Amino acid sequence: MNIYWSIALITFKEGIRNRALYGISLLALLLLAANQLICSMIMRDVGKVAVDIALSSISLAGLLIVFFVGINLLAKDLDRKTIYMVLSRPISRAQYLIGKYSGIALLLVLSVLILALFALASIYLVKGTYPDYFPRFSLAMILISIGFSLLSLLVLAAVSFFFSTLSSSSFTTLVLTIVTYIIGHSLQEVKSLVEAPGLVGIKVSATTVGMVRFASYFFPNLTLFDLKAQAAHALAIPGSYLLWVFLYGIIYIVVVLFAACMIFSRRQFA
Amino acid sequence: MMQHTEVIRFENVSKQFREGLRARRVQAVTDLSLTIFEGEVFGFLGPNGAGKSTTIKLLINLITPDSGRISILGRDVREKETRLHVGFLPENPYFYDHLTAEELLWFGGRVAGLDRQIIRDRSADLLSRVGLSEAARRPLRTYSKGMVQRAGLALALVHDPKVVILDEPMSGLDPIGRKMVVDLIIDLKREGKTVFFSSHILNDVERLCDRVGIVVKGSLRRVEPLANLLLEGDLEQIFLREVDAAAIGVPL
Repeated sequence: MNIYWSIALITFKEGIRNRALYGISLLALLLLAANQLICSMIMRDVGKVAVDIALSSISLAGLLIVFFVGINLLAKDLDRKTIYMVLSRPISRAQYLIGKYSGIALLLVLSVLILALFALASIYLVKGTYPDYFPRFSLAMILISIGFSLLSLLVLAAVSFFFSTLSSSSFTTLVLTIVTYIIGHSLQEVKSLVEAPGLVGIKVSATTVGMVRFASYFFPNLTLFDLKAQAAHALAIPGSYLLWVFLYGIIYIVVVLFAACMIFSRRQFA
Repeated sequence: MMQHTEVIRFENVSKQFREGLRARRVQAVTDLSLTIFEGEVFGFLGPNGAGKSTTIKLLINLITPDSGRISILGRDVREKETRLHVGFLPENPYFYDHLTAEELLWFGGRVAGLDRQIIRDRSADLLSRVGLSEAARRPLRTYSKGMVQRAGLALALVHDPKVVILDEPMSGLDPIGRKMVVDLIIDLKREGKTVFFSSHILNDVERLCDRVGIVVKGSLRRVEPLANLLLEGDLEQIFLREVDAAAIGVPL
């Protein structure tokens, strides 16, 4: 435990002192501050818009943290060979990877928590100004949505770890993680489309259907974690559904990190 | 000198790399057998690209040999516990930008299972020995190259290892920094540690080593006590002769 915690802690410290983190947080805070302004200009469905903007700001900031802080924390170790210093200690490669992931996870949890406080403040500020536009409002749904946003960021961070173990350049990892994010968000729609092409009057070859199905086993279905619309409309979601999505996220992380550890244990640091 | 207990042992170790798109095979280390004894300062010499760093990476388990076996203190280097007694300074070390030297040493001590108080005491002592006491709480990104190298040395020694492996410890250091490294290696020898270091600065090797190994093109051409080698002449002459001999294919 000591080893995992030590690695997690230096990773967290290295991440939290990174100026990029402050830049990203500042961007998010500006977006949240703009919430009031945007809502005052729209004057339609203000409640929905306010929640949507606040939650989207957290998602965007979290995503930027994964891409530009999280990936750097692992990939820079490999790029600049800082990893020699770590692996020359009595640490196994799996311990290094899990410790590193825990540090990044800690950083994401803390960032999202802080952003969530500001997001709630911005929502309540709009709600206080225009109470009439909030006939349906569910704080619980907003919090659940933020929680699942965080889970999707943790899934994406795990994916970036997997790519880092395959490549030695942080740029390749960044590109592959962005591609995974895009695929992860469109996979569900594409899958529904190719599985029932008749509905929109198109024809899809069996190979394409096979390929999309195949991809759906590998890439994370990130759409599942996106509950912003439900939160904005204050729609209730069955607990069993939430539990399944939660388990899906956790299992995906465990499997991807396990695969990353397997590859990493065999990697040659020439 | 206690030259009886084996500390580092290479047994017929070979390593090949595949380079480029066509996966051209490059023989980095060929059939290396070498034993280093307790309390010895061993200098590993060779021109650039001779396989010095590869050998050291094999020793730290950053890469694994294609064939052969490597052990430190009787334990296979693939076991992580082996590294509990090993201190390592990589060539041109690079540490975390935003951590301080103190935090770096805390990490080194913690993962070796040291107690907080012991880490604090050893850090203070080591950082003062490498002349970084005043910079101990500054982030490493503000350090000069020499300072990073010195922080790396302190990190390599924080857990009081029995074996110290240094990859080009003098590279990029000014004369003061080099003297500090030399003094540190002399101290380690006095403490009975085993030191294995690679270098191509022959002056330092002559000053420090008990035994010397000369590696050229991945093959170990000579392993002898320094005093014996020096009977044949200047270390530089012997070194250049071995490099030339390897170039024209003179067998070992």
